[in-house]
Order: sequence, then C-alpha cells, then structure tokens
Amino acid sequence: MKTLGRILIILTAFVLVMGITYTVVSAANTASSSTGTPTFEGGEGLPRPQGVQPQFPNGERPEFPGGEGREFRGDRGGGFGWILGAVKNMGIVAIIVAAVVWLKNFQRKRDRETQQVSE
Amino acid sequence: MTENQIKTKNRTQTKLVLDVLIFIAFLIAMEPRSSGIPIHEWLAISILAVLVVHLLLSWDWIVQTTRRFLGKLNTQTRLNYLLNWSLFIDVMLLMLSGLVISEVVMPTLGIGLPRNFAWRGLHEFSANLFIILLGLHTALHWSWVADTFKRYVFQPIGRVFSTNAKKDVSA
Repeated sequence: MKTLGRILIILTAFVLVMGITYTVVSAANTASSSTGTPTFEGGEGLPRPQGVQPQFPNGERPEFPGGEGREFRGDRGGGFGWILGAVKNMGIVAIIVAAVVWLKNFQRKRDRETQQVSE
Repeated sequence: MTENQIKTKNRTQTKLVLDVLIFIAFLIAMEPRSSGIPIHEWLAISILAVLVVHLLLSWDWIVQTTRRFLGKLNTQTRLNYLLNWSLFIDVMLLMLSGLVISEVVMPTLGIGLPRNFAWRGLHEFSANLFIILLGLHTALHWSWVADTFKRYVFQPIGRVFSTNAKKDVSA
C-alpha cells in the first residue's frame, strides 16, 4: 500500500511536468503560427511555394534507394554505427565524471592543506 | 549479519543491477539510427518504468532531503538534490517530446498528436542535455558506484579466482 502510494506520487509528478510542458509548447506553437511562422502537421519538410508543383519523371515521386528516407529510420549505420554512438556517449559521460571527481579531489586536498597550515 | 544489514545489502545490489541496466538501455536508446525506431521508442518507455523503481529505491533520501532542503544541509547534498530534479524534468521533457513525435508507439496505441518542429527540437535538446546531466549525476555518486562495484562485482570475482588458485596449489 505504501509503495503504491509512492508510485502514485511519482506518476503525479510525471503527469504534472509533462502537462505543463505540453501546455507551454502548444501555446508557443499557437502564438508562432498566428504570427506567420510556418508549422507543419507532418512535422517534416519545407512548405511548397504556392502554384509550384513538384516535377518528377512520369509524374510520380521516385522511391529513395534506402526506403522512405526519413530521419532515424533505423537501417543506417549498422552495428558499427551503434558502437561508435555508444562509445561517444560513454566518452562524454566518462569525461564529465573524470573532471568532476578530479575537481572534488583537488578541492579536498586544498582544504586539508589549508587546515594543516592553520594548525 | 543482522536482518537490517541483509536488507540494505539486497537493496544496494538491486540498485546496482538496475542502474547498470538503465545505463545499457540508455546507450541503446540513444542510437535510434542504428537500433531502429521501434526499439528506440519501446525501450525508452521501459526505461520510464524502471526509473519509477529507481526513484522508489531512493525514496527515503528524496523525502529526507526535501524536508531538510530549506534548513541545514551541506552544499553537495543540496547540489545533488537540485541536479536530480533537473534530471527528472529533463527526462520528462525527453519522454513527452518523444511521445509527441512518436512514429511507432503512439500510432500503435491509436493516438495521433499534432507534430511540428518545436517538439523535434525539444527532443534533440533534452537528449543532449540528458547526457550532460547523467554525467554529473554519475560523478556526484561516483564514490557509491566505485564502492558498490568493488564490493559486489570485483571482490566476488577476485575471491572466485583466489579459491581456484588455492585448489590448484592443494591439488
């Protein structure tokens, strides 16, 4: 029962943060669309100028060689790309950890030295 | 070993396993170009569920620090608390923007949300910020990570090898 209550509190916090964000971003979008900034229902691509039609051979859009050609489709890079990406992310985390731990140790050492001098 | 010590040991081991799993899942989920959109989206939702367990395991610390936040508290704990909140909010932004631009999960559930560039931008920004915040979060808990790994991973492995070595000598 106690755990259920805690889960409920966590989920309420989730919903609160998500709700506030959704409201803020939607309001910002509405404001930007009313001032003339283009927003797109499909989420991708640039708007076509009025009166201009796309020109494709045979009047049909050709298929991209690799399929749909949208971002994040998931068939690019392969295993090697995944390893590179994972190494990059791990590297960033490792650099931050090393820098903070070094700074903390340096600060602790300096504090100890100052304490010894004052004694 | 008292009952309390056993409980603490089990909780620490669970926390370690869970944190390692979250980190591995995060590494996979952060590469949607290679893992594919379905894995990226479903894995991110599973991470959300595991995060609830992660928060439940740290519940006592969260409650105690929240109570004492405006009172007497050392700088590192205060910083840690603020950083954890930032991480929580960032993960929520990441999840929400991910759900809005979702190509698999939301259509599967039959939910259609209005997409636009703002959500994609927010998703990319919060993902980049997440790596930095995760680095800081790990750095502030580094002594716990190092101690726990030493106690529950390296020392047991070392013990296994030393026992085998002793067996070889006695044989």
